[in-house]
Amino acid sequence: MPTVIFQLPDGTERKVIAVSGTVLMQAAVSGGVAGIVAECGGNASCATCHVYVDSAQAELVGPPNDVEDEMLDFTAAERRPTSRLSCQIHLSDALDGLVVHVPEEQV
Amino acid sequence: MSALTTAAPGAPVVELDLAELRRDPYPAYAELRRTAPLAWVPSVGRHLLTRYDDIVHAEKLPEVFSSREEGSLLLRTVGPNMLREDDPDHRRLRAAAEPPTRPRQVRDQWAAAFERTAHKLLDRIAGRGEGDLIRDFAEPLVAANLALVLGLRNASADDIADWSRAMMDGNSNYADDPDIWLRAERATRAIEEAVAEMAEVTRREPDGSVISSMVHAADPVELAEIQNNVKVIIGGGVNEPRDVFGVGAWALLQRPDALDRALKDPSAWKRVFEETARWISPIGMYPRQLTQDYEIAGVTLPAGSRVALVIASGNRDESVFERADEFDLDRPHRPHLAFGGGPHFCMGAWVARHEVSAIAWPLVFSRLKGLRLDDGATASDSGSAAGSLDGWVFRGLTSLDVTWQATA
Repeated sequence: MPTVIFQLPDGTERKVIAVSGTVLMQAAVSGGVAGIVAECGGNASCATCHVYVDSAQAELVGPPNDVEDEMLDFTAAERRPTSRLSCQIHLSDALDGLVVHVPEEQV
Repeated sequence: MSALTTAAPGAPVVELDLAELRRDPYPAYAELRRTAPLAWVPSVGRHLLTRYDDIVHAEKLPEVFSSREEGSLLLRTVGPNMLREDDPDHRRLRAAAEPPTRPRQVRDQWAAAFERTAHKLLDRIAGRGEGDLIRDFAEPLVAANLALVLGLRNASADDIADWSRAMMDGNSNYADDPDIWLRAERATRAIEEAVAEMAEVTRREPDGSVISSMVHAADPVELAEIQNNVKVIIGGGVNEPRDVFGVGAWALLQRPDALDRALKDPSAWKRVFEETARWISPIGMYPRQLTQDYEIAGVTLPAGSRVALVIASGNRDESVFERADEFDLDRPHRPHLAFGGGPHFCMGAWVARHEVSAIAWPLVFSRLKGLRLDDGATASDSGSAAGSLDGWVFRGLTSLDVTWQATA
């Protein structure tokens, strides 16, 4: 049961206890994290669940897959080196304490 | 599970006149949101779900709000297809068809040809000084683009537009008119032949199109599945980008400040697109059928209940969008529902965004100088009462008559 932390654009943060084996986007949606829109429900076709992984943990999370890499070029907020689609980050206990930053815009 | 064709116990029953809904559905939706956010509407034969939050909730539960609807006219018109499937079958077909519609493919593979086609159509009409931007420009443009992306090199833009119209008429043939069925069947047979021919060609020479992508999918797809899904894409792929183009152009021609802004700052076209799709959504609703008993909007729907997710209403929900009836490029950013949500999120979204907001609007407004609406083509600010706006399941302008300074 990893705990993940969403840093919101207004400076506040939301802690969500997630379920191993699910994806970060699901943790955000079930935890009611504002700013994670996830229009396509996790199919990497809308680019509206964009997050910036905290740079200290970027290596732990790993790089985007090919389809995700393409979608990340078309996010509403700027793409940065640690940009990921949260629907493509699979959670496990190894990611306990993961910190991600939610961008200002998703659409 | 069999489809229930009556009101769920406890659901309010609201009589709505279909002709009035076609003319202007928004007053009825506002009333439903206020008084009966889940209502059984006998003339539609479904429960209408009209509030933003409830629609989003339903979209996120595809295992409850199933896309498999019994007695669907779409199934009768085109046969089994991904729009009326749930995962994993939906996912298999979508994954096979989707790669050519992803945004990088649109930009790198299709955009230059989209632009050439737009210029060609404008070359043809620029000297005239007057025309109908739907018939003379938007429809042939999006139909030609669709033929290209699908890989139907053996079909003309006119073929695509005609087939689309014939199938859309079939999908809404609630009156069971035999002539409409006959036209739809002719169209679907012609599509089957065209797809079979191109599937054979792309089997030997892949060309990056949707047909080619499905032929070479890692998870095998049969020819009949390719044929039926191409039919569905043709059915929806013409009217949606055409209608968002038409409504957006019409909105801007009545709002010189907004138009001026887009002309000075091309990044604003993206906002025009999203606001247009929210304001008058090209797809107004889509059906779902309950797989289990489920409570939503204060009513427990039994398994088998038929529901319409009325996204056109969700997009006018005042609790989410202030002054929701107004077209406003500066409204606070909230996601609209026009592309649907969940696994069925519109596959053509990136194609439509690019062809309309990056190509069609900028070229039309820069090349046709002094563009203005013909007398009579203006409407109230709510966008509700324009004479040529029509439809509630699908809604758009049937014509957009304009004049401009003719060029040699």
